Amino acid sequence: MSASKIVISSIWSKVGGKYALVVIGLWLLTAAASLVWTPYPLLDTDGFNVWASPSAAHPLGTDGTGADVLSWLMAGSRTNLLIAVLTVIVAAVIGLALVAAMVSRSGALASTSVVVVDALISIPTVLIALILTVPFGASAAVVVASCGCAYGLNLARILRPSAMLAARSAYVESALWSGASTVRVFFSHIVPNTLPVLCVQLSMSAGTSMLAEAGLTYLGVGVGAGVPSWGHSLSTSVKFISIYPMAVLWPGLIVTMVVVALNLFGDALRDALDPLTNPALREDS
Amino acid sequence: MRFVVKRLVLFVAALIGLSALVFVMLRVLPGDVAAVIAGTNATPERIASLRDDLGLNKPLVAQYGDWMLGLLHGNLGVSAVGGRSVAGQVVTRMSVTFPLIVLSLLIALAIGLPLGCAAVLARSHRLRGLYHGIAIVAGAIPALWGGLLLILLFSRGSGLLGLLPAQGFPDDGWSSPLRALASLTLPALTTGITAGASIMRYTRAAVRDMASSQAVDMAMACGMTRTQAVLRVALRLATPQLVSVIGLTFAQMITGVMVVENLFALPGLGAMLVTDVGNRDLIAVQSELFLLAAFFLLLGLVVDVAHRALDPRLKTAGITSGKATA
Repeated sequence: MSASKIVISSIWSKVGGKYALVVIGLWLLTAAASLVWTPYPLLDTDGFNVWASPSAAHPLGTDGTGADVLSWLMAGSRTNLLIAVLTVIVAAVIGLALVAAMVSRSGALASTSVVVVDALISIPTVLIALILTVPFGASAAVVVASCGCAYGLNLARILRPSAMLAARSAYVESALWSGASTVRVFFSHIVPNTLPVLCVQLSMSAGTSMLAEAGLTYLGVGVGAGVPSWGHSLSTSVKFISIYPMAVLWPGLIVTMVVVALNLFGDALRDALDPLTNPALREDS
Repeated sequence: MRFVVKRLVLFVAALIGLSALVFVMLRVLPGDVAAVIAGTNATPERIASLRDDLGLNKPLVAQYGDWMLGLLHGNLGVSAVGGRSVAGQVVTRMSVTFPLIVLSLLIALAIGLPLGCAAVLARSHRLRGLYHGIAIVAGAIPALWGGLLLILLFSRGSGLLGLLPAQGFPDDGWSSPLRALASLTLPALTTGITAGASIMRYTRAAVRDMASSQAVDMAMACGMTRTQAVLRVALRLATPQLVSVIGLTFAQMITGVMVVENLFALPGLGAMLVTDVGNRDLIAVQSELFLLAAFFLLLGLVVDVAHRALDPRLKTAGITSGKATA
């Protein structure tokens, strides 16, 4: 069995991992499906049927413009997928760059980056989003940039101990002496050592970015008004509350289920990737 | 001592850097700030006089200097929309936001600390799984949705139980403390539960690390039960780490606080900031963003210094921050 097969099967072997794979799989399928088909086109509004309760024609009802809530939720899954993936990439790049600076051999660079991270880490996501929104306007890019910065700093701080341990190890020393470049040593010796923690943190970041998107969009500093997203659906559902309270359930339930899945996925991936906790990986090599 | 000085210098540097960032960000706006403030149907003369009043004809560096000097004197500028002083508004609004934050934090601690310790003490595999599940699900609830669910359950009017007011804050503020507290309860629960879940996770991780330390073995060898040893020794050893984690939780809670202030129609700072950003009230936004950033930088500073003071091991290790993995 190849390593990736072992990893996937050991994630699948746990209840939490199974749940995570199923929910994330459904999410990806819905996002892909919404590209070609939604029950109604997003801009198709039914003016005679606004704030409608669920019916056979509109399983989750319609919003204030008469647009189909289910269609918007489906289309929202791809915006949120994009936000999650981009946030993870931005956070990983910022986080790993900072870790590289923190464990570098230049003492000045290392100590400066440590204190810079310490000083900036308490700046909340929403503050970065507000600063960016004033000049650039609300957009998904603002969500990605603010989450990516905040989570990247957090990632650097959490990865530092394990990266530091690896950077001071004998194998890194010997790799450097045998002529490997620092870039190579960083990616092939130091990063793999942080991998278990990195996976958990990145997949938690993906989940937290969903929550941030919902909050920021409600505050008007998230994705733009006409863009489908779960935060958009959730904010719309606030206005439903007096007409059809049950409509409030769906968007929030979807966000919660996906965030739980991403958290469990991170935990399962950590256990599956670490040879210390996953014996199947050891037997293979 | 050297650490504190270094950290203070950095705090001031970060403060200056952030103020410059906020200033530049608000100045790269396409178009004329004065025209934006004056609105679409303003006469050119009105815009010109506004430019003069706001000092927009001066070079950027001078404008930045004026703003900074004003801030140092406690002058946050005058709101372009209401014409009221920003400083006065911030103080009034604080009387709602500050109690809300304190109440949320208390609720979060009341939930997170005991459950986190219980998760460490749980013996059966199933019980540990249950605690883990609670932490993950409670931490995955969007603040907006949590608030809506609490409204549906508890609020007067649309709720099932009809116990607490759904929206608003008494007009006379804290002169009727019980009514004010009642209107803060649901919002504080909303943010408190989510923050409590993350405090629970961190408590579990930190206390579990310490529970396998020699100190706990020693305490048990001296006759303490495992429960006593975990609560008296491991929890105490984990305190420095928990302080810094709670500080961070506090910073991340602020998005939730802004959401609930809007959802529950509370006249707090977060609601004001969002309104001002929406109104493009640049003078107010500029000072408010700076104040918030300064507050959080200060929080980070206090947390770091407290962590250092509580954990003497850091002095010898030369580490500025503890690790915190959930």
